[in-house]
Amino acid sequence: MTKITINGREVDADPAQPLIRACHDHGADVPMYCYHPGLSPVGSCRICQVEVQQGDMPPRVVVACRTPVVEGMVVDTEAERAHETRRECLEFLLKNHPLDCPICDKAGECDLQDYAFAEGQGKGRSAEPRRKLEKRKSLGDVIVLDQERCILCSRCTRFMEEVPRTPQLTVSDLGSRSVIETFMDRPLTGNYQGNLADICPVGALTLKEFRFQARVWNLRKTPSTCAECSRGCAITVETLRGGEVKRFRPRPDLEVNQYWMCDTGRFALDRANLPARLPAATLRGQSGLEEADVEDAVDVLADMVGAHRASAVVLVSPFATQEEAAAVQRLAAELGAAPAFVSPPPNDLKDDVLHTGDPCPNRRGLTGLGFEALTAEDALARLADAELAVLAGERVVELVGAEGLAAVRASLRLVVLDAVPVDVPALDVALGVPTHVEKSGTWVNVDGVRRRLSLAVPPPVGVAPLEQTVERMLARLQAAEVRG
Amino acid sequence: MPDVLVWLMKAGAIFGILLGTAAYLTLAERKVSAWIQYRYGPNRVGPWGLFQPFADLIKFIFKEEVAPAGANPLMFRLAPFLSAIPAMLTVAVIPFGPEVRIGEVATNLSIVDLDVGALYLLAFSGLAVYGPILGGWASNSKYSLLGGLRASAQMVSYELTLILCLLAVVTLSGTLDLREIVTSQAERGVWNVFVQPVAFVLFVVATFAETNRHPFDFAECEPELVGGFHTEYSAMRFALFFLGEYCAMIVMAGLTTTLFLGGFGIPFVEDPHWVLGFLAFMTKTAMFLFLFLWVRWTLPRFRFDQLMGLGWKVFLPVALVNLFLTGAVVSLLG
Amino acid sequence: MVVVERKELTLAERLYLPEIFRGMAITFRKLFAKRVTRQYPEEPLPTTEVTRGQPRLVVNDDGNIACVSCGLCEAACPAYAITIDGHETDRTIEREPERFDIDMLRCILCGFCEEACPKDAIFMSDELELADYTRQALVYNIERLKRPKSALQARIDYVYRLNDRWQSSSSTS
Repeated sequence: MTKITINGREVDADPAQPLIRACHDHGADVPMYCYHPGLSPVGSCRICQVEVQQGDMPPRVVVACRTPVVEGMVVDTEAERAHETRRECLEFLLKNHPLDCPICDKAGECDLQDYAFAEGQGKGRSAEPRRKLEKRKSLGDVIVLDQERCILCSRCTRFMEEVPRTPQLTVSDLGSRSVIETFMDRPLTGNYQGNLADICPVGALTLKEFRFQARVWNLRKTPSTCAECSRGCAITVETLRGGEVKRFRPRPDLEVNQYWMCDTGRFALDRANLPARLPAATLRGQSGLEEADVEDAVDVLADMVGAHRASAVVLVSPFATQEEAAAVQRLAAELGAAPAFVSPPPNDLKDDVLHTGDPCPNRRGLTGLGFEALTAEDALARLADAELAVLAGERVVELVGAEGLAAVRASLRLVVLDAVPVDVPALDVALGVPTHVEKSGTWVNVDGVRRRLSLAVPPPVGVAPLEQTVERMLARLQAAEVRG
Repeated sequence: MPDVLVWLMKAGAIFGILLGTAAYLTLAERKVSAWIQYRYGPNRVGPWGLFQPFADLIKFIFKEEVAPAGANPLMFRLAPFLSAIPAMLTVAVIPFGPEVRIGEVATNLSIVDLDVGALYLLAFSGLAVYGPILGGWASNSKYSLLGGLRASAQMVSYELTLILCLLAVVTLSGTLDLREIVTSQAERGVWNVFVQPVAFVLFVVATFAETNRHPFDFAECEPELVGGFHTEYSAMRFALFFLGEYCAMIVMAGLTTTLFLGGFGIPFVEDPHWVLGFLAFMTKTAMFLFLFLWVRWTLPRFRFDQLMGLGWKVFLPVALVNLFLTGAVVSLLG
Repeated sequence: MVVVERKELTLAERLYLPEIFRGMAITFRKLFAKRVTRQYPEEPLPTTEVTRGQPRLVVNDDGNIACVSCGLCEAACPAYAITIDGHETDRTIEREPERFDIDMLRCILCGFCEEACPKDAIFMSDELELADYTRQALVYNIERLKRPKSALQARIDYVYRLNDRWQSSSSTS
C-alpha cells in the first residue's frame, strides 16, 4: 500500500492500479471515457486529468488513468487548472459529437452527456460543420454503430482484444477521419459483443435488440443473477413500467464475472417475459383442467399425496433456489422420496471467458443439499415406476420433456409446479410458480459463490413463491397425519 | 246547456289557468332573477326557454323519490298534498271576470260565488299551514323541523293582520262576497286602495309572509336551513310543495287585486266586455306576481325575531287601529 | 372601550319603506341592463397564443411528425399523463413515436412538456374542450394529438419570443 493525498485526505492506494482507481475508491469524482477498470488504460481521451504535486516539483496536470501511484503524491482532482483542461478536452470531444441526445439510446446513462451537463458550456464555439459519417452502420447481429457519435476512446477495440481475445475492431484512418471499423466490414462474431454497448461511453455502439425500446430513465433496475449458465453472472434486471423486462446488463462482480456477461444470457429475455402463464392453481375436473382456488388445490393435493405416498418421485428444476430446494427437500422427506433435480446435458456454448456450458445455474447448490442429478431419460424412467410424482420449479416440464411426460401412463398422480401452462394426460394438479425474475433467493454458482436473486417483476396475481406453496402442502399433509 | 256542464267547464278553465300560471311563474321567477343579475336565465329549452317548465316537470316525474330513514311514512307522503290542495281550493271564490254571455249561456267567471267568499278563502288558506308543519315534522330532520316551526309561527302571526285588513275592506263594502266587493268598488268609482291605503300596504306585506316569500321565507331559508321543511323532499313531492307555494302566490295576488284594485273593473269604463274585464283582472294580478318576484330579488331576508316583532308589535296594532277607524267612519257616515 | 354614538334614525329610515322603494328602483333598472353571460357553446372562449390549452404534437410541412419520442416530456410531466413508445424510421431522424398517449384526465395543462421538448414537437394549443362518455376516450392517442404546424404557428412564435426574452435577460446577469 502506498500513502498518497487525495483532495487533502491521506489515503492508502494500491500501487498496482492507476491513480484514477485510487481517486474513485476514495470518493473523488474523476470523469473517464477511455479508461475502464476492466481494460488496460491508454489515456487517449484526456478527460481524467487531475493536478498532481510530487516532491519539490510544482503541481502539474496529468492523466489519472496513466499515472502510477507514487508514495507521497498530492492529488487535487478539483483544482481549477484540472477543471480548465478537462473543459477544453470536453469541448474538443463535443466538437464533432452530434446533438442527437433526444434520439440516442444512451441518453440518460451517457458519460459524455453527464459530464457535458455538469461542466460544458452549453453552446458550441465552432463555426465549422460537424463531420458527417455513417449513422446506422450494422456491425453484425448484435451491435449497430453510429460513427458520428464515436469519440474514439478505443474501449471497444481494447475489449475485443483483451476480454474475449478475438480482436475484430480497430480505429482506421487518421486524424479527423478516424472511425471505428471491422476488417473489410465483416460482421462481428463471438458471444460477448453485447458488452460493447455497455462499455461505450457514448451512444456510438448500441444494441440492436434494445434499439429505441425504452428510455433508460424509465427502466427500473433490480440487481439479480443471470440464469443462463452455472456461472451466475451478476446482472441488473431492467423493467419498463413495472412489467416487461427490457434488458439484462452485467453488474461488476470481481469474484464472478468482473464487468461482463455473454450475449446468450443478455438476450435471454424470452424466459423473463413469458407470453402465457400457469395460473395460481388448476385442477383436473370433469371437463379437463380448471382454474381453482389455491387453498382448494392444496387440499386436493394433500389428500392425493397422502393417499399415494408409497412410491413417490420428487423432482425439482435446476433453476430452483436454495430456499425452494430446502422446502422441496422437506416434502421429499415427508414422502420418503429421494430428492432429485433434472439436469440437462451441457451445451456447446462453453468458452474460457464466462460461459460454463452447463445450463443449470444452481447445480452446485442442489448437489450440495443432497439432490441427485437426473437426466431427462432417467427422470422419465423413474416416473414410469412411481405412483405419484411432484415436479417443482420453473421450466421443469420443458427440461423433463413435454412429449416424454405426455407418454407417461395416465394413472400416475402428477403434480406440476411450473411457470408456463402444461397439459399432459397424467396431470392432476398444476400450481403456478414465479420465474427467476419474479422471485428472491440464493443460487450457488460453479465456483461455489453464493449470489442473490431479487424480485424484479411482481409474479401474476395469486402466484406465491414456490417454497411457500410447498410449505403449505407440507403443513396440510402433516395436519392430515395428526388427524389420521 | 245544463248548469253542471257550464260549471265543470268553468272549473276546468280556471284550474287550467291556475296551473299554467303557476308553471310559468317558475320560469318567470328564474328569468326575472336572471335579468336583475345581468344573466339570461333559462334559454335552452324552446325559444327563450319557454318550454323549461315542461322539462322541469319531466325531470320531477322521473327523479327518484327519497325518504329519510325514520320519516313518518304517512305524514311524509301526505304533507305535500296538504300544502298544494288548500292553495288550489282557495282559487274557487276568486272572481276572474264579470258575467260572461256566450249565446244563451250566462254565468259569472268564478267557480262559485259564495256569500261568505272571504271567509272561505281565509279558512282554506289557513289550512295551508299544515303542509309545511307536517312536512317539516315528518321528515325526521332538524332543518325540516325548524323550517316547519317557523312556517307555522309566521303564517299564524301574519294571518291576523291579513284578516284585520280584509275586515276593514269588508266593513267598507258591507259584504263578504268577493264579487260584490268588486262591484261595490266600481259603484263607488274609487278603488279601495285609495280609501284604505294603510290596509293595502299591510295586506300586501302580510301576503308575503303568508306565502313564505322573500323577504320572509324563513320556512325555507336556504343558507340556514338548507331548504327548511322541504329539505328532505325530492321528485314529485318536492314539486307539489312548489306548486302549492306558487298557487298561493297567484291566489293572494288575485285576492289583493279583488280587494284593493277593483278586481275585473276598468276605471272610467262602464260595464266593459267580459274579455276586457278578464284581461284587466289578469293584468293586475300579473303586476302583483311581478311584485313578488321583484321584491324577492331586491330585499335581503329579515331575521326571524324581526319578522315576529314586526308582525305582533307593528302590523297587528296598526291593523287594529285601522279597522277601528274604518268601523267608526262607516258607522258615523252610515 | 370606545362608545360609538349611533346616528338617530329619521322617521323615513325607521319606516324602511323609502329604502325599499329605492332598492326596488335599482333592481328594476337592472332588468334592462346588458347581459354579461357568455353563451358558451355558441360563443366560444376567446383564446390567444398565451392560452395554455391541451398539448398537441407538431406535424411538419413534409408530413412527418416532429417528435422523436425522446421521452423528455414524459419525464417532465408532473401528472404522469404522457406515455411514449418509440420505434425506428427510415428517415434521417432515426426514431419517431409509435405510441404517444396523453391522458387528458391527468393532464393539468402546465406546459412543462412544451418547455422540455428539445425538438419543438409539442406545443400547448388553444384547444380546451374536453368531454366524452368514457375515461378511455379521453386518453388521446397520437392521431388525435397531431396538428399541422400551421395550426400551432401562433403559439410557436410566442414561445420563441418568450425564450428570446429569457435568454437576453439571463445574459445580462
